[in-house]
Amino acid sequence: MPKFFYPKLALSSIKRHLQLYGPYLCASTTMVSMFYMILFVAENSGLSKMRGSEVLGQLLRFGVVVVGLFAVIFLFYTNSFLVRRRKRELGLYNAFGMEKRHIARILGWETFFIALFSIAAGLGSGILFSKLMLLLLFRILEAPIPFGFEVRLEAVLITVKLFSALYLVIFAFSVWQVRSAQAVELLKAEALGEREPKARWLLALLGCVTLGAGYYIAVVVADPLVALFSFFVAVILVIIGTYLLFTTGSIALLKLLRRSKPLYYRPKPFIAISGMLHRMKQNGVGLANICILSTMVLVTISTTVSLYVGLEDVLRTRYSREIVIRLDSYEPEAVAAVQAGTEAVLSRHGLEAAEKAEYRFLSLTAFRSGERLLTEKEVEPGLTGVRTSLHFTPLEDYNRMVQEPVSLQENEVLVYSNRGIYEHSTLEFLGRSFAVKEKLASLPGDGFSRTQTFASYYVVVRDMQVLEELRRNLTETEGRSAQTSYIRGFDLDTSAEEAAAVYRDLQESLPRKDLIWVESRDEARQEFLAMYGGLFFLGLFLGTLFLLGTVLIIYYKQITEGYEDRRRFSIMQQVGMAGSEVRSAIRGQVLSVFFLPLAAAGVHIIFAFPMITKLLILFNLTNTALFAACTAVTFAVFAVFYACVYLATTKAYYRIAAA
Amino acid sequence: MNLLEVKNLRKVYTTRFGGTQVEALRSVSFGLEKGEYTAVMGESGAGKTTLLNILAALDRPTSGEVILGGRSLSGLKDQELAAFRRSNLGFVFQDFNLLPTFSLRDNILLPLVLAGESYREMEKRLQPLARRLGISGLLAKFPYEVSGGEQQRAAIARALITDPQLILADEPTGALDSKTSDSLLRLFGEINEAGQTILMVTHSVKAASHAKRVLFIKDGEIFHQLYRGELSVTEMYERIADTLTLLATGGDVRA
Ligand SMILES: Nc1ncnc2c1ncn2[C@@H]1O[C@H](COP(=O)(O)OP(=O)(O)O)[C@@H](O)[C@H]1O
Ligand SMILES: [Mg+2]
Repeated sequence: MPKFFYPKLALSSIKRHLQLYGPYLCASTTMVSMFYMILFVAENSGLSKMRGSEVLGQLLRFGVVVVGLFAVIFLFYTNSFLVRRRKRELGLYNAFGMEKRHIARILGWETFFIALFSIAAGLGSGILFSKLMLLLLFRILEAPIPFGFEVRLEAVLITVKLFSALYLVIFAFSVWQVRSAQAVELLKAEALGEREPKARWLLALLGCVTLGAGYYIAVVVADPLVALFSFFVAVILVIIGTYLLFTTGSIALLKLLRRSKPLYYRPKPFIAISGMLHRMKQNGVGLANICILSTMVLVTISTTVSLYVGLEDVLRTRYSREIVIRLDSYEPEAVAAVQAGTEAVLSRHGLEAAEKAEYRFLSLTAFRSGERLLTEKEVEPGLTGVRTSLHFTPLEDYNRMVQEPVSLQENEVLVYSNRGIYEHSTLEFLGRSFAVKEKLASLPGDGFSRTQTFASYYVVVRDMQVLEELRRNLTETEGRSAQTSYIRGFDLDTSAEEAAAVYRDLQESLPRKDLIWVESRDEARQEFLAMYGGLFFLGLFLGTLFLLGTVLIIYYKQITEGYEDRRRFSIMQQVGMAGSEVRSAIRGQVLSVFFLPLAAAGVHIIFAFPMITKLLILFNLTNTALFAACTAVTFAVFAVFYACVYLATTKAYYRIAAA
Repeated sequence: MNLLEVKNLRKVYTTRFGGTQVEALRSVSFGLEKGEYTAVMGESGAGKTTLLNILAALDRPTSGEVILGGRSLSGLKDQELAAFRRSNLGFVFQDFNLLPTFSLRDNILLPLVLAGESYREMEKRLQPLARRLGISGLLAKFPYEVSGGEQQRAAIARALITDPQLILADEPTGALDSKTSDSLLRLFGEINEAGQTILMVTHSVKAASHAKRVLFIKDGEIFHQLYRGELSVTEMYERIADTLTLLATGGDVRA
């Protein structure tokens, strides 16, 4: 055997199949490059000095794991596709007397060259673009751009190790695939799959049920905290449903259509239905993959973008005033001390509080069942309801915040909830029944509801006397004192630096530090930026990665189909179809198969919308309109991009199918 | 008037790379009467398939003309050609060319579906035809589920279902064993007896001996022709074999 026989054979076979290997090489290079970049960014020292770096670091490390996992799954998937397409050629080698271990050698050299190329090129481009990624992240975080160019040896090593191991496993898998097949099978591998697919009604039905259940969960979920858990359940159900419906549901439906003879035996449906039937058998999984990846891209990008864009909004929801002081007591002396302390700090800075908001609260966790609000002790087993946080505040405080003062009778209350308008006309608490005089749409100067995680009810009672009575009753029934608080928020009409100085001053000079919390919106802004900016960056990064995966799957799908359709369409032409008719039939079929995953992804997004809206509440984003807009724009951009990919890959398809 | 008139057909293939030219047909002329059963014989590479593709309007000649039923094919547009092919021509191929994604029934109905016939009419034509070809029981099966001979019968049914003026067959027995070939050739004879015009391309002497007339094609030209007249199939077989020997040795048998 001549020197370098196998390496040469391997190289020439990669060259010969460039149409197959080109995109694979591109994709694996990009995977290596992206993995290095995210690793580089995650381990960057500049970040650890930033405020909120802990959250950011966690996010980025999470990103590293996702990119790594995705690379593994994805390269595996595409490689198995390549091996399948090449079985025929390998079968020929086998038939001409090459032993399987020799074939394994060829595969080994091929994998080696591919690994060498993609790791080298990937690291090269990764190192080159890593600085760009860092710039992007710092830009998003509004942080000062660091100088210098850095190569992290550690990140390089991890990348090389991971991908070498991955290619080794891929090689082993290919060898196993070839080994387990007989020569004849290898030759025939491509001709298989022409068998008429069976309609598996039970699985199709199961698909409908799981998808329906997933959608149902997504739509009915009311509570954000519940949503977090239901989200995962719904996602899994929808993924299962998508796979089942794309693989078995589509076939069942097409078979059903075929049963209606007058409908089926017309030119377009005739060609479309029979073509799709076989198409779905071979490509159901691929289409489901595309659908799920597209959905992932859409969800990731739309949510992270809306969080980032809505950052100011979120801050305003969470911090109604620039400075908020909370005192864990509403005793008059303590309140007076805080008021005096605040005024002292402000006058020292020559400033005056604007948009002042002051509330006294009596707060507890309660359990709401209809119009009844129950304490922990009162909850009886078997009762249905939601855990809520309940806050009582005197009318005096409320009236200070509104233009037209309200008056209340002894047993009358105003109710505000962060979960929509309160439904009932009475409210029962601790054996007392209050008449709801007004259901408020907002609590002026609110922002104390902390996060929006829990359902919160704010009950405005006639005066402090009612509040005190409730407090006494609570102490008696519950055996512990309820939480009282005084909250004072205000804006400052000054520069950011001055405001920061006021904030620090307040933190230091206010008495009773153990009972007092001072918060500054600007300070919080930095931490929110670290989190939402990090999410945004990760969203863009992962979105791009998933998109790349989608494109590659689409490309390979088109190529396979091109080869399969070529014969079909040449026969149709012989039987009396004009070339233009054939082309329009191809276009119709390709179009419907191609855009099916996009349409399905669109439906997924629509159903996921209510649930994601709830989830975003956990991140304090309550601006549904903003999220809707972001989703719509993301979808539109994605659809355009998808259409471009369609046009580009369809060219490759036509070149093959119409040859 | 002849059903089919072929005048001075010439076909030159230009290979995509390099531009070398192959003259597949030099000058082919002949006529076909209605009801005739004609075989075209020639060695592999003689240009038989090329001729058939041009007759079928699947390919255009470099020069020359094909007139079918009084209409010249060269003037027709792509769309018209397809419709013309659908209603006037039926094809039978060496490798059957059934669509693997269709059952035999759907394969046979394909031309009618493309022509926009009603389903009722389709059924009306399908049943007697399937019975005649002996595939009534196989209609629901898929091509991969039946034998080569049965596939070819289905292909013949597909060719006949539009009631075409002319059946074109390219080596219809080429992929079949001899027993199946025999029964298929008998079937062709029966179809012809019923009035169907057939043009069959073949390099099998046996297949050609069933025809009523045999054209010999060599180096892109019609070289010779034989009429069966009152001869039996066996006698015809010998005459054809003799002619081929002469052709091969370069003897001049030009008619
Ligand atoms: N598409 C084509 N391009 C170039 N040359 C062709 C093409 N088709 C056929 N030929 C050439 O034309 C000649 C006749 O081919 P063909 O008609 O297939 O012969 P037959 O069917 O009699 O075996 C052959 O030399 C063949 O190589
Ligand atoms: Mg031929």
